[in-house]
Amino acid sequence: MRGMHHHALRVRLGVALAVVIGAVLLAACGSSNSSTSAPPGSSGGSASSSTSTASGSSGSSSSSGGSTDTSSCGPKAGQAATGTPINIGTIDTKQPGTDFSDGPNMINAYFACVNANGGVNGHPLKLFVQYDQTQPAQIAAAAKQLIQTDHVVGIVGVFDLLECTIDQSYWDQLGIYEMGAGIAPECWSTPHSAAVNMGPRYSSDGAVQYGLSQHVSKIVFVQSNVPGTGYIAAGPKALADAMHVPITELTANVPINDANSLALNLVNNAGSNGWVVLNFTPPEALVILQAAQKLGLEDRVKGWGCSTPCNTDFLAKALGPKWNHKLFVNAELTDADDHNGPEMQLYKAILAKYGSAVAGGIGSFSQMGFLLAKFSVGALDTIKGPYTIQSVNTAFKNIKNQQTEMLCQPWVYGPYPLHIPNNSDFTTTPDNGKMVTAQGCTPISNADPQIAAYRKAAGEAPSTNPPTG
Amino acid sequence: MKTETGARTEEAPSGAAGGPGAAPGRGRGARALDARSLVRPAVIAVLVICFLLFIPSIFSLYYVDAWTQVAIYSIVTLGLGVLVGRVGMVSLGQGAVLAMGAWVAARLLFATGLPFPVVLLAAGLITMVLGTLVGLPALRMSGLYLALITLMLAGAITVALATINFPNGGNGFTGYDGSTVHIPPIRRPSIATTDPAFFRYSVVAAILMFLLVLVHLRGRPGRAWAAIRQSESAALAGGINTTLYKLWAFALASFITGVAGGLVAGSYRYLNSLTFSTQDSITLLAVVLMGGAYSMTGAVVAAILLKFLQALLNDWGVSPDWLTILFGIGVLQVLTTAPRGIVEQMPKDLARLWRLLRGVAARPAAAREPAE
Amino acid sequence: MPSTTDLEQFLITGLSLGGVYALSGVGMVVLYRATGVLNLSFGAVGAMGALIAWQLINHSGFGFWPAALVSVLFGGAITLAYGMVFGPALAHRDPLVKATATLGLTLILLGVMDLLWPSSGGASRSLTIPTDNNTFQVGQISVTYTNVIALALGLVITVATAAFLRFTKLGTAMRAIANDRDISAALGVPVRRVTAAAWFGCGVLAGIAGVLLADLVALDATSLTFLVIFTLAATLIARLRSIVITFVAALVIGVVDAELTPVQSLSNYRDMTPFVLAAIALLVLNRRRVITVGRQGV
Repeated sequence: MRGMHHHALRVRLGVALAVVIGAVLLAACGSSNSSTSAPPGSSGGSASSSTSTASGSSGSSSSSGGSTDTSSCGPKAGQAATGTPINIGTIDTKQPGTDFSDGPNMINAYFACVNANGGVNGHPLKLFVQYDQTQPAQIAAAAKQLIQTDHVVGIVGVFDLLECTIDQSYWDQLGIYEMGAGIAPECWSTPHSAAVNMGPRYSSDGAVQYGLSQHVSKIVFVQSNVPGTGYIAAGPKALADAMHVPITELTANVPINDANSLALNLVNNAGSNGWVVLNFTPPEALVILQAAQKLGLEDRVKGWGCSTPCNTDFLAKALGPKWNHKLFVNAELTDADDHNGPEMQLYKAILAKYGSAVAGGIGSFSQMGFLLAKFSVGALDTIKGPYTIQSVNTAFKNIKNQQTEMLCQPWVYGPYPLHIPNNSDFTTTPDNGKMVTAQGCTPISNADPQIAAYRKAAGEAPSTNPPTG
Repeated sequence: MKTETGARTEEAPSGAAGGPGAAPGRGRGARALDARSLVRPAVIAVLVICFLLFIPSIFSLYYVDAWTQVAIYSIVTLGLGVLVGRVGMVSLGQGAVLAMGAWVAARLLFATGLPFPVVLLAAGLITMVLGTLVGLPALRMSGLYLALITLMLAGAITVALATINFPNGGNGFTGYDGSTVHIPPIRRPSIATTDPAFFRYSVVAAILMFLLVLVHLRGRPGRAWAAIRQSESAALAGGINTTLYKLWAFALASFITGVAGGLVAGSYRYLNSLTFSTQDSITLLAVVLMGGAYSMTGAVVAAILLKFLQALLNDWGVSPDWLTILFGIGVLQVLTTAPRGIVEQMPKDLARLWRLLRGVAARPAAAREPAE
Repeated sequence: MPSTTDLEQFLITGLSLGGVYALSGVGMVVLYRATGVLNLSFGAVGAMGALIAWQLINHSGFGFWPAALVSVLFGGAITLAYGMVFGPALAHRDPLVKATATLGLTLILLGVMDLLWPSSGGASRSLTIPTDNNTFQVGQISVTYTNVIALALGLVITVATAAFLRFTKLGTAMRAIANDRDISAALGVPVRRVTAAAWFGCGVLAGIAGVLLADLVALDATSLTFLVIFTLAATLIARLRSIVITFVAALVIGVVDAELTPVQSLSNYRDMTPFVLAAIALLVLNRRRVITVGRQGV
């Protein structure tokens, strides 16, 4: 009797397992049909190994296969690098809901291209990736693992929510100059970190600055309630104060459970001649804007602004025509779909040939990964002696005047006490399902004391690129 | 009657099925028991010393950190194990209680120059008061209500901590200054500033917490909990103040979880609301059930499942989602077929596997024999 | 301080969310009453259903309504499958164990959702119900028909379920099983079929709530999964029994949460509403009850 009971149970468990597996497979089939946006040959982004050697074994045999040429990424076309590898490390956030792995995966793709085409002075590049789930101890341990176990000589491509805060003093001790695309204040405010992205504060500055230029009577600035909100909010406040425009600064807990009420609150606060500026991730910003649309609030204020994460066609499509020239988004990266200069072509070609692990395909994360890889390889090329932490980081620190189509101004590292190399940007607005340029490259105002301090140290880089779009 | 229950608790903490194999041994030999009672602590002591000495020297710093987390989280899983396994109360808010402990400890470490152990003690006590207050409304009702109210608590604490933020060296009651550009690290004890040293410090603290719980289990509270677990009405009829002892268990679990929170603060050095989520509390319950809520070894196994496995999979580049799925399957498996967790289930499963393999190996041999 | 027009506006936004919480709460209470299982995977099932609908609409060319139907059926199917497999195995266990087991399903679904619909490269998704485009004006704000549907569905399902339990044969059977499973079986109530109906119904409601919340809140696995906390508070205030109290409590939670938005000092704490209200309710209920003994749950 009891045995039978157990047997029945086991059968049932087996059935349950089969159901679960079946459901997973079913859904997996569904989603594999879907990855149309991913580059051809994408394996669906199953977690790539953390220390994949970027040796060009896959693509080195024939470089004539693709329609576009990737060989310009390295010095000797079609010749695989065979020397001792140069180890580069990176730490990136990858957790449910926040997955920045496209950044390091793109760097890996670029390194693979370099390795297949002569390497760096004959040396192949090897990228060691440590993923974290926003646990500080884990991030500190990852840094030590990279230096002590993996013997990396440079830190490139940190796409992380917390890393800059946690590892600053460690990098400082070692004389490491990291390059990344971060969120935490320390990514911009310390000698040892330089980012390709503007980050939440300066991008919010840009969005507020555009609103101020529209002669509004009030600014309402709202951001997700994550660490560092005070640091971010100080920028927009300084800009509004300089123009004598009142500003209300709010935070909202994420995930947002009741966007309707939030949207209503923002509009009520701003008034009919006010300007609402959002600093959120795309899904959260979308939720607020859609709520405003459903409640018919989009015309109750003069205009809406958003920091750079909103600059995606996804948002323009999801929002629809009501927001055409009503929402103005601060943008820092040139749209890859509309531009086809040599650098953009190389980016797309490398992504197509080596970037099968880049799940999101063309996008801001892979664009920034491309830039970081390009700048770092350029610096490594200048080193003549052995590749040590000292020589590599001196070279990184000396990076200057890096011309690029993707940013508004040349990129620079430099020996400064703080680093805001990306401080000029443009403004986009939705136009029937696409983001189009509303205002060309404009420097962020010196009214933000941090920007003023940076320009005092580093000088004002000219906005070289013509207005885009 | 009462003493017998007590004896059973000491030997093999009785679950719903009672302590199998514990009753017949009573008269057989006090001497055997004595020898065993000496051998076991000795073995454990030797293991612990090896652990303390060797882990920092054979593992890279990455894994030393993972083992530090195992030590700290074994305190948390032990606390939850006491609630679930000994008293039969399910709390879905232990992750939030841990976050509270970490907040309190960080606040004290920034505000005062108190020695680290004193801060740990204070964090434990304050968390104990807060945690107990919160459980109070549900303690007198059935277990399901406690589980639900603590799950809501986990959500509410996540919201509250995201709003007031973790201390970062600022002033005022919250100790948070949002405009800080250079956040100072939370200080560690002067004898344990390096990672290997802090690992040893955490292990010692964990051992002390395990001993504290052991004292409780061997004493009157342990007997009362066992009685409550068997049958609350019988315990009540037997003159046990069930509310008091349930509250006691809740307070004990909150206390040691608060201490663990203090260790988390010292280990992480930077705290923020992104680090703690509502899901953590559910994951904690999952690993406690998988490890086995009825034994102290189970707490260690649970912490290894939670923290070491995570570090290992991360190092191998496996998505953490698989771990979540594994924990989900683990919960269902444990609740339907192996209520005492994998600590007790594994040997049985292995024995079954061994028999199976032997059977498979024997059959071809048996088939061959007549042919030759 | 918020003005009366403010209060009016936030009342409307609160009611529509409250309506969905109510609908979810009714689904959970009915299942609990018929099987003793408090289905904590309700939110996760709804979230997965909504993501499947998104997948079908954006990558398989489905229209909204067929996709929504699929997601509702998915909710019913997966919940029924869980109930048929694990329901009997846990039938004689404590309600606490039964509820905890559904957390296993929750974790599995959370992991699967993040694997299948990752957030890499800043990917984001949204699900829009066509009725969003039809609005009418109430005071200063427009109300979409989705808001109306949410509230109306909450009301309709509450009334229909209450009537169903009272007046139909299947409903009476559910109440009988809730009272005593073994005696009901002995008296010839088809326990298996009746509980299957309850599981399926609960799953269907999870699917409906998932699609509605994906539109009203966000299409995000984690937030949809843990919205179940708002619903739980309502069911707890109703002591897992009364469908009508669940409905009212859910509306109150939705409205209180919304009304706190313009109060700046409390605005960011407002999502603690379910916990605070449930804790108060428990304290008040406790004063009248001496003690609950035994393993029967309520």
